[in-house]
Amino acid sequence: MGCVIIGAGAAGMQAALACRKNWPDSQVTVVDSEPEVGYYRTLIPQFINRALTEDRLFFWQQKQDRELDVRAGVSVDAVDRANRTLFLSDNQRLPYRRLIIASGGQPIVPPICRTPAVRGIFPVRNLTVARRARTWLRTNPDTVILGGGLVGVKLAAHLAEFNYPVTLIERERQLLPQALSAEAAGVVAAHLQDKGVRLFLAATVDDLQISGGLLEAVRVDARWIPCRTLFVAAGSLPDLDFLAGSGLVTEGRLEVTTSLQTGDSAIFAAGDVATIVDGDRFTPWTWPQAVVQGKLAAANLYAGAPLSLPRLTRVNAMNLNGLSLAILGLPACGYDRTVHADSGSTIYRELFHRDGRIVGGVLIGDISSAGRLHHMMTGGAVSLAEMEEYIIPRRKAMTAASLSLGKYRKKATWLGPGGG
Amino acid sequence: MKVIAVYPDRCTGCKTCELYCAAERGSNSKSLLKAVREEPSPMPRVRVEGTNELSVALQCRQCRQAPCLDSCLTGALRRDDQSGIVVVQENRCIGCWTCTLFCPYGVIYPWPERKIALKCDRCLYMEIPVCVDVCPTQALELVDLAEYDTVLQAKRASVLETIRRAGDRQGALILE
Ligand SMILES: Cc1cc2nc3c(=O)[nH]c(=O)nc-3n(C[C@H](O)[C@H](O)[C@H](O)COP(=O)(O)OP(=O)(O)OC[C@H]3O[C@@H](n4cnc5c(N)ncnc54)[C@H](O)[C@@H]3O)c2cc1C
Repeated sequence: MGCVIIGAGAAGMQAALACRKNWPDSQVTVVDSEPEVGYYRTLIPQFINRALTEDRLFFWQQKQDRELDVRAGVSVDAVDRANRTLFLSDNQRLPYRRLIIASGGQPIVPPICRTPAVRGIFPVRNLTVARRARTWLRTNPDTVILGGGLVGVKLAAHLAEFNYPVTLIERERQLLPQALSAEAAGVVAAHLQDKGVRLFLAATVDDLQISGGLLEAVRVDARWIPCRTLFVAAGSLPDLDFLAGSGLVTEGRLEVTTSLQTGDSAIFAAGDVATIVDGDRFTPWTWPQAVVQGKLAAANLYAGAPLSLPRLTRVNAMNLNGLSLAILGLPACGYDRTVHADSGSTIYRELFHRDGRIVGGVLIGDISSAGRLHHMMTGGAVSLAEMEEYIIPRRKAMTAASLSLGKYRKKATWLGPGGG
Repeated sequence: MKVIAVYPDRCTGCKTCELYCAAERGSNSKSLLKAVREEPSPMPRVRVEGTNELSVALQCRQCRQAPCLDSCLTGALRRDDQSGIVVVQENRCIGCWTCTLFCPYGVIYPWPERKIALKCDRCLYMEIPVCVDVCPTQALELVDLAEYDTVLQAKRASVLETIRRAGDRQGALILE
């Protein structure tokens, strides 16, 4: 009896590998309801638009490690803490000495889209559905994406890049409402429109037109938009049903300490499923956090003095069909703002700060210094002058130029701020 | 493990390292004169930072616990087992810039035109890194960390020796 991990996503798989490395004597069993595991969920948009083939998605293959048992296609239905046993969907029972819950999130599907008999509706979260969508799109390219958050915006940009007709619908008055200020979101919206994405803000899908089991159109703002494909990217939430009665869930959340420990000293949680309580409640919902948390949960499993996560940030970077974005986060309220915007270009750089500490911001169009600024967010206070220095783009590329120096003409090569 | 050591006191901020890095590692032609005319413009993996008074050439430190490795969304970043160097496998990089955002030293650069992240790989497959080779003031040097450790060990030993010789004498110790 060793360590059992629920979920073989980013957090679960990293936890499993780290477990085997840190505690070689402990056997590890990973259980995941998906038929395939160990893939980059983050690459689903590039897989759907056919920029990437399937073999590029997998980061893990079953190797000969007899102490690592990965059971794909099996769900955990319930946790019996008193007997330290899991109940599985294949009617087996699985005892554990230590348990890591890394079950991620499930896509939120609005009731109107929950029509299993209709073909053409695809929640964006897992490979099985992505594979179906990829094939489906071939003959049904007219696409509507419901949800202008990170996943929806990414998918829209990637589909537009491959010339799919895309309509993106967001309930709020701006794109990326949980990540960007209205001004910054405006830059992203203008760029997507420039790339051919049709945008509806402050709108939602309120009806579907179905014919012969096929989606024909969706109604938005009293207007029918013909489409055969509807992607649902309305966010995701942990599905904690299997923890009902376990006593681990508080007001719908699986809360852990910064050492990723639940209220039960034998049970840890990592990744999208976990809410970290550190004064505030924090849910990073990003791939890098899932990886780091998976490793940390594994390191802490049998440790006498558990380690804590380094300071938490919810940052994200992406390339939206030619527009680079480094998102440092959007604080709730009470912050000052420093902005650098280049009129006539897509460069928009914004920092939010409070008492000399950087608490968020975004770099759009030119993301130079992103790493330094992210690092500064997790450090102490910095001066306004320093922030202003970093808010100015500092890309460098080779430039050739002719300099006129009186009657002499000289060719010069230098490294200066580059374009793009 | 061999790393590039930087000597700020010798750096004049001339940016020769940047130019040659861009030409040698970022261009197709590999020649300075032709590289400047290439599209997209070649970009360097080493950057001279600082002011006229104090400048320093910065490149990837090949962190032992590298945040970029944990952040990679595609499996493009990998540590070369033999050298310990963190490399970008360009054929797997999609240019999402997540590693750029996670590098605390700010030394992973986006190259949007080629959709890849750029970082110093110490010119892994060359005899000597190009920046080290061209630096006119030897402000960059290739050092073996193991050798460096030996020097530091000797230093620590001499400090201990000084302390031992001082015995329980009062007052400040002068260390060499
Ligand atoms: C399309 C898309 C694009 C994204 N792009 C980015 C990006 O660019 N950058 C970024 O930082 N993040 C991105 N994310 C978010 C990122 O993928 C997640 O934060 C990350 O995958 C979370 O990892 P996890 O291991 O916590 O959960 P998951 O990866 O969701 O893994 C959880 C696993 O648990 C399994 N499971 C759930 N319940 C059970 C159960 N009861 N029994 C057994 N198994 C169970 C699930 O099947 C799943 O395989 C993206 C997400 C999506 C969907």
